[in-house]
This record gives sequence, structure tokens and C-alpha cells, in this order.
Amino acid sequence: MKKHPLAWLTFIFSFGIFIASWIRAPFYPLYFLAIAALISTALFFKRSPCFNLSLSCLVFLLGALNLITCDTLPGYHIAKYVNYYRSDTPYIIKGYINNQPQAGSSRSSFIFKAEEIQAANLRKKACGNMLVYVKGKQNLSYADELILIGNLYRPFTPLEKSASLQKGFLTGGNKALKSYRNYLYNQGIYAVMYVKPGCGIVRVGRNRGFALKKLALGLKKKIENIIFKQVSYLCAGVLDAMLLGEKRYVPAYINKLMLQTGTVHILVVSGFNVGIVAFIVFLILKILRVPRKARIIISLPLLALYCLATGASNPVLRATLMAAVLSLAYFFRREPDMYHSLAIAALVILSLSPRQLFDIGFQLSFVSVLSIVYLYPKIKTLTRLDGLKIRWIRLILDNCLVSLSAWLGTLGFIAYYFKIFSPVTVLANLLIVPLATLITLCGFALAFISLLSQPLAQFFAAAAELLVALLFLINTFLAKLPFACIYLAGRG
Amino acid sequence: MFELTRQEKQVILFLVATALAGIGIDFSVKRFSTAQSMAAFNENLGKIDLNSADKDLLLSVSGIGEKLCQRIISYRQEKGRFLEQAELKNIKGITASKYEKIKGSFIVR
Repeated sequence: MKKHPLAWLTFIFSFGIFIASWIRAPFYPLYFLAIAALISTALFFKRSPCFNLSLSCLVFLLGALNLITCDTLPGYHIAKYVNYYRSDTPYIIKGYINNQPQAGSSRSSFIFKAEEIQAANLRKKACGNMLVYVKGKQNLSYADELILIGNLYRPFTPLEKSASLQKGFLTGGNKALKSYRNYLYNQGIYAVMYVKPGCGIVRVGRNRGFALKKLALGLKKKIENIIFKQVSYLCAGVLDAMLLGEKRYVPAYINKLMLQTGTVHILVVSGFNVGIVAFIVFLILKILRVPRKARIIISLPLLALYCLATGASNPVLRATLMAAVLSLAYFFRREPDMYHSLAIAALVILSLSPRQLFDIGFQLSFVSVLSIVYLYPKIKTLTRLDGLKIRWIRLILDNCLVSLSAWLGTLGFIAYYFKIFSPVTVLANLLIVPLATLITLCGFALAFISLLSQPLAQFFAAAAELLVALLFLINTFLAKLPFACIYLAGRG
Repeated sequence: MFELTRQEKQVILFLVATALAGIGIDFSVKRFSTAQSMAAFNENLGKIDLNSADKDLLLSVSGIGEKLCQRIISYRQEKGRFLEQAELKNIKGITASKYEKIKGSFIVR
């Protein structure tokens, strides 16, 4: 704590958010308390212990106030227009699509940012995101400006049931339903709309949204098309998940298999993928003999683009922010510190959206990195690994310790949320992670080479097929080992 | 606890004070905001034009089945076009109560 004040302040800030989620505190008394804490912090500027104490109190109150502000919806928020009673009059809402629509065979869904709503024959200003379901396959994309006509609900049981099953939530019964509603709330979604079939969508324009996100999603679509054209559906599904974070094409049994062996993290875009992208970008720029500082300047926007293309989920955002902080440390010739970069990433995410603290992805992402940073050096010293003479054994054991540290850190969270305990995880990660690295590299190479030469791309496609097949074989073998995975009581 | 340099303290104080001010403004704006009325949307928005709607579009209206849909299309072909919505009542199967139920979904252009 002495060496990492930012880590301490981030912890205090998170604690403030956590406490505020349990206690319904009024805003203004807390706010005046925070002002008093700010004044006392300024007054104790020269007295370190008092300054630290008042600063900690202030940061704690800031965390609590941030959550209260986040949970306070403006008077014109879309959720405030939802009737509690059933109404036959459909809602008419104008706004734009705020994510990449998910097109299924029977229905499409997307997040819609509301701007105007027709209520009681009057057009009123609106704000907030809502989840929209439309029957059939729709040709929609991010930033499409639409007028939607349909029924508006708060997330409730029937929807929660179908959606939680679709999302593959493992906890059973009401818990899964409640957790899906909480998941939506944590994402800032307080309303769900079912669009009227037939003529419930009126297209107004196409030029809304964030230009960089539009570019990123356009690139993502192109890469997806290349992948699905070059390799089999199964392999393309895995590559799509590993490269671009689109998990919907991965068959459920493969997902289950990887969950059992504790390697499901490679099927979502995480810090691991961001690291590989950063490595590829740096390598290409190094080959092109671009100077070191210029490499950092070029790589940061590319990482941001990748973050946006993959949906800016918590693990990717965490990894991108950490990469940015570490790169800037190199740029300004400062000593890079993992704790500080991790703390800055957490502070940025929680300041923008404090409800992310309760997101499983956020918790697992930060806990796994924190346990690697904290536990790995300690276990390494304890096992006296550096004393080992044979280099390749040392390397293997080193990787084992990294996996072990991450496993130990996330053990409790995985047991609590997924009701599963996988002793095979450390061994599985030792084998799967290098393979996943190769698959990811192969996938990116395939996407890039396809633009230049189709015949050459076939070699990468064949290699990707082989590696994905190997991934399944190893996973199947590991999952069948005795005591590979133990299901805990209370699992649905 | 932790040790901070004078410069670090200044930066942290500045950031924390800015964040506090920002949170206060954000909360107040949210707390005291009300819905503002604007002009109404086009009242015909989302209604189906009886003269151009195809089979699928007609079927999407609740209360219109396969048979009724076919009768509406046949009527339109026979008469050339609908001149007013009330002509729906001339179609076999559309009673006065049914007409009241479905008329809100249609428009004649």
C-alpha cells in the first residue's frame, strides 16, 4: 500500500460503491460530507497522516456518490415512460442503434439509444438505452437512426428466462432470472421493447453514433466475412469468438467443455487477445523500422479501434487501458507499474460506470490480473524456481505458476457464480493457452493475408482448422480425466 | 499508510475536487430534469397502407388471419384500390366490432 497509493485509493473508491449499493443513503447529506472531507484534506495538506485519512474518506464518499448519481434516472429517462399496467397503445420511440445488432434466424436484437418518445399524443424528449427485439432477420447496423413502434416493458420474468437461457447462465432457477435482470441494469438497460411485427421500424437515417466505432464495426464485419468464407463453420465460430468476441457461433457443447476445463476465457476477447494484437502491431512496426516512440503513438489508436470492434467489454477495456498506461510510461521514460496501471484502468471504468463493479466479467478480469501480479512472484520465490538449471523445464513451470496464480485468485468467484470447481484448470491452461495464442495469430494472419492473396490464405485456413481441431481434442481429453471438474451443490 | 509527494497531492486534490463538482452537477441536472413536450410524431406512423400492403404485412396485424388477408387482397384487386378505411366493413368476416379493433392499424393513402 505504501508503494501503490493509487491501488489503495481505487480499493477505497470501489468499497464506497459497494457500501452504497447496500445502504440507501440520500445524496445531499453525503455530498456535504464529501465537501467537508475535501476541505479537511486541503487543510491537512502538509500533515501526511491526516491528509491520507481525509483523502481516503473523500474517495470513499466519491465512490458512493458516483453510484447514487449513476442510479438516479433523469425525469425523461425511457424507463420512466414504461407503464406498470398493460396498455394496447404501442409506444413510438425515436433514436439510434447503439451496438452491433445480433441477427438470429427468428429474431434480431440490439441496444437502442432513445431520444424522443410519443406519450399521451405528445412527442417528448427521452434518453437512456433499451434492449430491442424484432421478429425475423433485419438488415440493421450500428448508428441507424430509427423510429420504433412496439411494446415497452421493464425486464421481467418471461424475457429473463429466455434471455438467460440464451446467454448460457449456469446458475439455476430464480437466481439466473434475477442475475440477468441485474446484468441488464448493470449495463444501463432499464427497458425492453418488442417491436410491432410488420411496420414497427421506420428508418430515418444512417449517420448517427460515433465515427470511430462505426469504422471499427465495419472492419469487424469485413474480418468476419473473410473468416466464414475461408474456414469451416465450426472453426470460423471459434475464430470469431477468439478474435472478435462474437461467441454466438460457438456450439454450446464446446462452450460447456471449455468451461469444465477452465479454459473458456480464451473464447472471449480478453487481455490475452489485446496483448496479442499489441504484440502483432509492435512487431510489424518494428520490422518496418518505425522508431520506438512512434510505435507507441501508432499502436494506441489501433488498440482503441480493436477495443471498440470487440464491443468494449470490461476485460478488453481493462487490458486496453492498462496497455495505454504502460505504453505511456515507456513513452515518458517512467518506470511502468502493473498495480498503478491496473488501478487506473479500474478507476476509469468505475468512474464512467460504477455498476460494472458487480459485473462478473469485471470481477474476474481484475482479480485474475491482480492475482497474477501479486501471487506469481511470491509463489515463484517460494518454489525457488529461478534456481532451476534446465531452461525449458523452468519455462514450463513458470507458465504453470502463472496459471496457478490466476486459478487461485478466481477460484472463489468461479465457484460462487458458476458452481464449478475445476482442478484440471492449471494443466489445461498450460496446454491450451499456447495453442490459443497460435490460433489467434493464425486467425489474424488469415484475415490480413486474405486481403492480399487468396491462395496464400488457404495455408493459414488449413493451419487454423488443424489447431482448432487440436484444441477440441485436448479439451475433450482433459474434461474426461477423473476429477477434472466437480459441480458444486446449488447448481441448477 | 502511503506517501505522496507535494506535486502528487496537488494533482490528486485537483482531480478529486473536479470529480466532486462534476458529480454534484450531474446529479442535480438528473434530479431536477423533467420531460419536455415537443410537436407530436406523424399520427400515421406505423400504420399499414391498405393499398400497398402485401400478404405478410397484412398478416402482421393482430386479428387478421390467412383467409381475411386473402379477402382484403381480392377486394383490392377487384375494386382497384381502397378509397377509405371504412370499405373494410364490406369484406366478409369483418364485423363492426372487428373493424373497430383493427382500424387503428390501417391507413388509406
